[in-house]
Amino acid sequence: MFGGGPVSTLGGVLVLLSLLFATVGCGLGFFAGYRKDPQLYRWAQSAAYGFSASMIGANLLMVYALINHDFSVRYVAEVGSRSTPLYFTIVSLWASLNGSILFWGGILGIYTAGVTWHLGNKHREYAPYVLHVQLGIAIFFAFLVASIANPFAPVFPVPPDGPGPNPLLQNHWLMAVHPPMLYLGYVGMSVPFSMICASLLAGRLEAGWMAPVRRWMLIPWSFLSVGIVLGGWWSYAVLGWGGAWAWDPVENASFHPWLTGTAFVHSAMVLERRGRLRDWTLLLGMSTFLLTLVGTFMTRSGVFNSVHSFTQSDIGPVFLVFIGITLTYSLLLLTFRAHKLDEAAALTDARLGAKAKKSTSVFSRETAILIQNGLFGAFTFTVLIGTLWPLIVEAVEGRRISVGEPYFDKWALPIGLGIVFMMGVGPMLPWGRQNADKALKRALPAAAFGILVAGGFAAAGFQGPISVLTLFVTGFAFWANANEILDPARKRMSTHSEGLGTALRKVLLRGRRRFGGHVAHYGVLMAVFALALTKGYRVEQDFPVEKGQTVQFQGFDIRFDGAEMVQEPHRSALVSTFEVSKDGSLIGTKVPRMNFYKTQREPIYTPDVHSRPWGDLYFSIISVPGDGSSAVVRLIWQPFQVWLWLSAPMVFLGTLICLWPERRRASASSAASAPAAAGQVAPGSAK
Amino acid sequence: MSSATAPSSSGPKIRWPLLIAGLLVIALMMALLGGAFGRQVKELSTEMEGKPFRQFTTVDFDGNKVSLQQVIDSGKPVVLNFWSTWCGPCKIEHDHFQHAARMYPEVAFYGVLYQDKVPVAQRYLAQKGAAYPTLVDESGAIAITYGVGGVPETFFIDRAGTIIHKENGPMHMGMLQPLLEQLKASAP
Repeated sequence: MFGGGPVSTLGGVLVLLSLLFATVGCGLGFFAGYRKDPQLYRWAQSAAYGFSASMIGANLLMVYALINHDFSVRYVAEVGSRSTPLYFTIVSLWASLNGSILFWGGILGIYTAGVTWHLGNKHREYAPYVLHVQLGIAIFFAFLVASIANPFAPVFPVPPDGPGPNPLLQNHWLMAVHPPMLYLGYVGMSVPFSMICASLLAGRLEAGWMAPVRRWMLIPWSFLSVGIVLGGWWSYAVLGWGGAWAWDPVENASFHPWLTGTAFVHSAMVLERRGRLRDWTLLLGMSTFLLTLVGTFMTRSGVFNSVHSFTQSDIGPVFLVFIGITLTYSLLLLTFRAHKLDEAAALTDARLGAKAKKSTSVFSRETAILIQNGLFGAFTFTVLIGTLWPLIVEAVEGRRISVGEPYFDKWALPIGLGIVFMMGVGPMLPWGRQNADKALKRALPAAAFGILVAGGFAAAGFQGPISVLTLFVTGFAFWANANEILDPARKRMSTHSEGLGTALRKVLLRGRRRFGGHVAHYGVLMAVFALALTKGYRVEQDFPVEKGQTVQFQGFDIRFDGAEMVQEPHRSALVSTFEVSKDGSLIGTKVPRMNFYKTQREPIYTPDVHSRPWGDLYFSIISVPGDGSSAVVRLIWQPFQVWLWLSAPMVFLGTLICLWPERRRASASSAASAPAAAGQVAPGSAK
Repeated sequence: MSSATAPSSSGPKIRWPLLIAGLLVIALMMALLGGAFGRQVKELSTEMEGKPFRQFTTVDFDGNKVSLQQVIDSGKPVVLNFWSTWCGPCKIEHDHFQHAARMYPEVAFYGVLYQDKVPVAQRYLAQKGAAYPTLVDESGAIAITYGVGGVPETFFIDRAGTIIHKENGPMHMGMLQPLLEQLKASAP
């Protein structure tokens, strides 16, 4: 590890330091919690900051080495190149396996520092245990970086230049954004995991603790949501087949924790407000992190056949051992410590005078969330089984099979529709009780709006039964969520005699968490809306074209202006130019291209898209034989595609609104104030 | 927080059923994932490369009898592409193969339908275009003979009947062209 240039040496020291800090801090955290020792806790905090600083430092050092083309460092020699533009040089930190594990460690450092700072001197019963578990996870990643995946290892003799990062990474800016978003999602799930473990270790769980756990789940959840959508966008914008999702094992791997995480942020509300679904919620929170580990394993082990498995390596077995340890640890905590939570809850009940069980009617939000959770659980299970099925069949029968899209589509459609439907039903119902008549009365206008939406699009030609049904459910949920914002504002307008603007603003400020939830729901609805209108309505056709020739497609006139070779520093490209006009006026120039990289024999085809809210016109070059005066181009018309991509910022915005700190309240615990605050805006619940 | 002072707890102390079931699931999962190492998805059985083609006789979607021996005897090199409609990568490569088949009329292209229903595939081809016939392999016999592990997989057989290349995974024009040139130039 030592020897070589200064960067190798310093990098080695930083990585070893991070391993040391993680190990010591993990032990300190446990004893600080067990002995309730404030001094030990302060030391554990310092160790956590020490781990974060050394890991983040190691990452910055690697970026420095990459920028300075220090080819005496192994990772730089593997992915660096003097001809690669600066931007791609920086992002090549995560271009290849060893760098991505270092980057992973760096993100873990950021999250660890974040949660250590956030907890500070609050939640003292839990906080030491959080550091214990969080740094336990850190030990593993620091160990990986220090041993088999060490990117700082020296290279001798020092090569004059390197091959540059994977061409796929350099081919599109999305590839620079999509992996870190996923990492931020994956790694961040360690924080709610640590917090839940801490609760079991401490043997207690108050509503005041669930609120921060839920917030810490929302952060990585929003990154994961964005990462998944960006992945689809990348696949759409780069792979040239005009599709975003193919139920590939690695895509599924990112989808599993998203599903359980989504279920968690909902069931955690039930736990926080009504004290129900406790064990289920804890299980969901833990599974979410465990599924991110399984997902990483799927991507990195080379066990699954996938377009993403270009990063195979020998870390698979080590990772599997880590998964085994984490799974067993979680299981032992759940089985040996859950009874402590029961006792603590019973104690609290006794102190409060053993209130009668809160009654709940069938028409309540908790029931809606229970159903929604069941659907999410079923969704996760079916996708997980489908992903693992080839392995199972091969292990049992020795036969190789692949599970195709029909299986996934068959299950995803009904379950997905059910979830969207519940997304409308849930917000309509208040916590606790509601009579059936009232619930129905609230549902009718939403259903009417759903029919209007489905009918409108059917009149415009989108008449397939599946899309009609999907649009109906989407419209239903859209109205239900909008109504939850407008209805209280209307009430304010009459009772406080305020204008619409003031009333809206006050409603939003008072119920920020609810409002954020509705915005996130809109994001998901946008994605569902796009899926309903793109699937089954795309039109595609291949055109052989000569230079100067104009072809008609979907009302567009498209003229081919020839293809020519362009030299760029890190690649050469065969760029075809198309002029797009509609009704005689020019509306754009599109340049689908074939990119050639030195390190790869075959070109990478890069499509170009003319994007409008009502549809995308997609250009993909099939071939350019000869001198560039002729080509075969594939044109695809993909209605309403852009709404799928817009769903990501919407979900992110919604989460941000939820997370934005509420104005500080006088009381130390947010437990009592949170439901009360929401009660002010929850229509119906005041009665 | 000693449990002696707590009122009667509402659950058993240790949840044995959960523990046993959980350990079982973990063990199974570890065995499954661990046993899968060395699956070598990428370097999947290219052992057919360099070997002579394996004869089969079947029918295409229109019911025409096809014998690979006869095709080779007629002096034509062959491209055998195993695909199915449920396979995403197959859809990616579909147009490249259609285009390649039109560009190289001297090469006999055949699709072989893998674990899929003929009417479904017919509908797909009617929509996406078919420049060459797809063969029916209902029992999976052809796939087994050629050691096909998944789709898409493509075999390139030269005029002498030797399998010169096997590709696991989707192909595009840039990959197809050099191989097709090689097939075209091969001697019977």
